[in-house]
Amino acid sequence: MRVLRNVFRRKLRSSLTIFGITIGVFALVVMGAMAEKINLLIDGGTKYYGDKVMVAEATAGNFSVRPLSLKKVEEIREVKGVADAFPQVYMMLDPEQNMSFGMPKMLVSGDLKANKYEEKKWKIGYVAGRKLKDGDIGKSVVGADLVKDLNAKVGKKIKVRGKEFEVVGIMEKTLTAPDSTVSILLPDAQDLFVKSLPVALQKTVKKEDLITSIVVYPKPGEDPGVLAKRINKEVKEVKATGPAEFRKQTGQAMVIFNTIIFGIGAISLLVGGLSVINTMMMSVSERTREIGIKKAIGASNRRIIREFLGEAATIGGIGGLLGLSLGWAFVQAVNSATAGTGTVVFLVTGRLAIGATLFAIALGAFAGLYPAWHAARLNPVKALRYE
Amino acid sequence: MAIVVAENLKKSYRLGKNNFVHALQGASLAIEPGEFVAIMGPSGSGKSTLLHMLGCLDDPDNGRVFLSGREVTKLRPSELTRIRARELGFIFQGFNLIPALTAIENVMLAAEYAGVNGRAKSERAEKMLDRVGLSERVRHLPSELSGGEQQRVAIARALVNEPAIILADEPTGDLDSTTSAEIIGIMRDLNRAMGRTFILVTHDHEVGSKCDRIIRMRDGVVDEAAG
Ligand SMILES: Nc1ncnc2c1ncn2[C@@H]1O[C@H](COP(=O)(O)OP(=O)(O)O)[C@@H](O)[C@H]1O
Ligand SMILES: [Mg+2]
Repeated sequence: MRVLRNVFRRKLRSSLTIFGITIGVFALVVMGAMAEKINLLIDGGTKYYGDKVMVAEATAGNFSVRPLSLKKVEEIREVKGVADAFPQVYMMLDPEQNMSFGMPKMLVSGDLKANKYEEKKWKIGYVAGRKLKDGDIGKSVVGADLVKDLNAKVGKKIKVRGKEFEVVGIMEKTLTAPDSTVSILLPDAQDLFVKSLPVALQKTVKKEDLITSIVVYPKPGEDPGVLAKRINKEVKEVKATGPAEFRKQTGQAMVIFNTIIFGIGAISLLVGGLSVINTMMMSVSERTREIGIKKAIGASNRRIIREFLGEAATIGGIGGLLGLSLGWAFVQAVNSATAGTGTVVFLVTGRLAIGATLFAIALGAFAGLYPAWHAARLNPVKALRYE
Repeated sequence: MAIVVAENLKKSYRLGKNNFVHALQGASLAIEPGEFVAIMGPSGSGKSTLLHMLGCLDDPDNGRVFLSGREVTKLRPSELTRIRARELGFIFQGFNLIPALTAIENVMLAAEYAGVNGRAKSERAEKMLDRVGLSERVRHLPSELSGGEQQRVAIARALVNEPAIILADEPTGDLDSTTSAEIIGIMRDLNRAMGRTFILVTHDHEVGSKCDRIIRMRDGVVDEAAG
């Protein structure tokens, strides 16, 4: 290949430039792989939250849990457009848990009757064991991502918030909330929840009355967003969130993340691009007489431009492929290292791989535009006299 | 009718604010088809500048150039590119070949510029290299060839599109006298066998003596008296 021969006429210089692009694309692939994983989680989440309204105590934050009265469930059931509403206790699996990457690990108790709504969307499968049944006090079902973490096996016990539960089932992967969730029955969860409250408060509340949230399923044809607004208006001391809210929150997170990726892309564009411009300008100047000869024997300006653009794009492409391979290898290594904790951080998708490579090629070609134009514009007579 | 005509060519280069070099000061010439002509003259007398004008590489400040009856000084750059690719052949002194390309690739490049592609391109290049006696070393890079061999490749490259006119600027300038005679011999043979017009700029009287005619230049004009 003539192009490759020209690129590697100056081995060290071209290699350094290629290396610069490699680093940029590496960073892009690694960050992009993180974003793709998050996208996947959000897609799952959109499906999970897409058709229901979540109700919490009015002052509760995203992950800060406040007690809510069971009586609110009845109130909400009265609201027009509500098909059904179920009480829920929802808390961090580990009270000391730091905000970690991906989905937080949660402990959830749902009403078993809510399953009939969930099962319409998903076929919740079980890798082992079975789902929770009425009367399963002291028993639990474990989400796919938590199996290794909790060392869970059907028939064995796991320890959650200081209490032991027997595992009766292990769920299949859903790519959303249930993966990082341990499910128990409501009374068990209420028990743990009361214990998590300040001691002074513990005596004043009635355990059976205490929940953290309510899951509301709209009637067919009812828009969950509209329903959430109606609940907020008609029921006091609660905050209802529809799926739009979920999308808005994750949307904001994604904007930040995309900005970071865009920033890295922009920096690698700048550094890689400048270094391609530099390399190509040097090679144009070294080949001045050669360009003069080519023009003398009939090369059109377009041909000269194409030749140098091709070289610049090749530098970009080689850098891109190397960066992609390195990034992919890195992602594989990190994923297999963290597989034990159940958190898969990265996902290299086809569109990411192709996108990163095309980006590098386009970057190279773009950076080559000026040098190529400069080469084509050389006066052939001056170029021929150039020593 | 003459195949190459230059009429009263003038060209100055600006060196500084009020400092001009008058490289050509009204040079005229006419060359017949099939002629083998030398342009001789002292260094700086404008030989290369004149050759560049004849080769459509530069335009004069004044005057006209006709190739095969067409006034090329009126044409657009893209038309000149096409003429250089298809109707002219160039040979320069010394470093003349593209260093990253092998002998045959150098020759094929010129064919490519003239729009020849595929098998025809490599066949023509091979045939031309064979004619200049270089069929053994076609896959060598210029750096692996001697000066004489490099000039043979340059000749093959200039002739691969069978142009009517071949322009050579000191083609033997870097060669010893034996090799120089060989190279001129090859050009002369091609001139006789193919009927191409050759115009060579040279310093070398040996070379001049083998030409049909010598055009002498002095101070940017053709020295009629000496011709
Ligand atoms: N691009 C240029 N800029 C300035 N001066 C030039 C340029 N090209 C040629 N000259 C000058 O024009 C004169 C004629 O040059 P040239 O045609 O190369 O002469 P020759 O080939 O006979 O030695 C010389 O004095 C040379 O220095
Ligand atoms: Mg000269």
